[in-house]
Amino acid sequence: MNSNPPTARRVALVSALTVVALAAAVVCGLAIGPTSIGTSQIIGDVLSHAGLGHRTLSPLQSTIIWQLRAPRLVLGLLAGAMLAVAGGTYQGVFRNPLADPYLLGVAAGAGLGATFAIVDIGGGINTPTWTPLLAFAGAMVAVAFTWGIGGRGLHSNASTLILAGVAVSALLTSMQTFLQQQSSANSIARVYIWLLGSLASASWRSVWLVFPYVIVCTAICVVSGRALDVMSVGEDESRSLGLPVRRVRFIVIAASSLGTAAIVSAVGLIGFVGIIVPHIVRLLVGTSYRRILPISVVFGAAFLVFADTLARTVMAPSELPLGVVTAAIGAPVFVVVLSLRRRMVR
Amino acid sequence: MSTVEIQDLTVRAGSKVLVSGVSLDIEPGTWCTVVGPNGAGKTTLVETVAGIRRASSGSVSISGQCLSTMSERSRARMVALVPQHPEVPAGMTVKDYVSLGRTAYHGLLRAPSARDRAVVDSVLERLSLQEFAERDVITLSGGERQRMVLGRALAQSTMVIVLDEPITGLDLRHQIELLDLLKSEVAQCGLTVVATLHDLTLAGQFADRLVLLDRGEVILDGPAREVIRSAELAHCYGMGLRVVDVDGSDVVVPVRSGLRH
Repeated sequence: MNSNPPTARRVALVSALTVVALAAAVVCGLAIGPTSIGTSQIIGDVLSHAGLGHRTLSPLQSTIIWQLRAPRLVLGLLAGAMLAVAGGTYQGVFRNPLADPYLLGVAAGAGLGATFAIVDIGGGINTPTWTPLLAFAGAMVAVAFTWGIGGRGLHSNASTLILAGVAVSALLTSMQTFLQQQSSANSIARVYIWLLGSLASASWRSVWLVFPYVIVCTAICVVSGRALDVMSVGEDESRSLGLPVRRVRFIVIAASSLGTAAIVSAVGLIGFVGIIVPHIVRLLVGTSYRRILPISVVFGAAFLVFADTLARTVMAPSELPLGVVTAAIGAPVFVVVLSLRRRMVR
Repeated sequence: MSTVEIQDLTVRAGSKVLVSGVSLDIEPGTWCTVVGPNGAGKTTLVETVAGIRRASSGSVSISGQCLSTMSERSRARMVALVPQHPEVPAGMTVKDYVSLGRTAYHGLLRAPSARDRAVVDSVLERLSLQEFAERDVITLSGGERQRMVLGRALAQSTMVIVLDEPITGLDLRHQIELLDLLKSEVAQCGLTVVATLHDLTLAGQFADRLVLLDRGEVILDGPAREVIRSAELAHCYGMGLRVVDVDGSDVVVPVRSGLRH
């Protein structure tokens, strides 16, 4: 079996193709929709915003592109990039291929926070305002709890953290289910929609709210690639190589969780991106996190925008839940890449 | 001054005492091997010397600097470890694996410098690993793999190298090859070696000094030939041992009780 690690040429090719996919995703995200607007018109209008040429869109088309599709596209790019890089980072720091960004309780905490805001048992909560805030707060409190239980102390390690995450998630999910059960059928449906994730409520405001978190957290995750490569030999050995394991683990978990919490607060729980994208990238470019993480950022962004384009067009005018689409296209893509890779190394 | 100074070292796991009141001074350039039966505390002792296990009381110093006060990075420039069961991450090249030994020099945010790359190339050459440099680590045989792990430790350019059962699972030829390689590194670079070995013959042949450990305590400490021929050694293992001189080298032969007449 030829199982030599991927050559620099293959890595360069995959990187280039990923960038092309991102460009295609951006074009799809802007051009595809119920109102047909030509790509050349959109490009012309983008150039006119940069001071080149004159505007090519009517006021209505301009509103559709710049107030509806563009913020949705940008939020999709941010969400895809963040979830994918956070998933890859978690898989590296926990040395566990099943790790995803929701491992330490982000999903359960955000779910409880959002349910609290949507169900609004006592009344008086402005649901649209409070849903992202409580989802974000719930996610961060959940991760802080998990860290407090399993990440501190002399004997803490990746396994104790994962187990603490399982316990915290189970507890918060049970609370969320209880809250949901106490609410009306209408609320249950809204909670359910939120749990499946959607970019439908994207606005420039939500983009700017998550933007700083995503940029900073993605940057931290990407530069942690070298540390994660060292950690691939285990905690004891990486310590003997000079890696401050506990500090690195704290920083990368904090960055991944914070970024994921920000995204989840804006778009709900979009599943599958965080686990499938880093795996596909790993199959294509090998096991080094110095390659996996930056390519996952670009690939994750493209992947989620493609998935969202499908979600909003396949059954238009109604939308499919984004989480359903990410799984429905992610799983077959993963199987194809896996079988291609097997054929290549045979 | 000693390179490695262990003072009244005690290591506990919960209420169980693994190493108890061990004090040793190991001179620069010395090869010191810790021997003793299973459960004697050998691995615990050497892992504490390598700084990956904390002392419950007492201290370990290298060149006068106490390990517990050092950062991971400074410590990794002074002492390297070849663990008993090294993790071999699939998909990594041999060269990248050996390069991990330079982490403490270039840090986590910078790429390896020209000097780091030169050290790695030199190690690959000395250990005859160049032909495997771009191979996936999991494709190596046991002997090649163990040489690669030694290479990673040597790339750390430390004064002290700690090896925990480095020849486990290797056939006779590869056992001798690996220990010979290490011996030549000790001679060339003035390395101080702290090792554990189960094979008493090889322990006696390669070490300058043997430390006999039993139930966490030092039973005997002295020149290899003396410890090998001591009555305490057989006593600790709880069986008969015969030392035979073969061409000037001591060979330790276990005596099966059932074969005694």
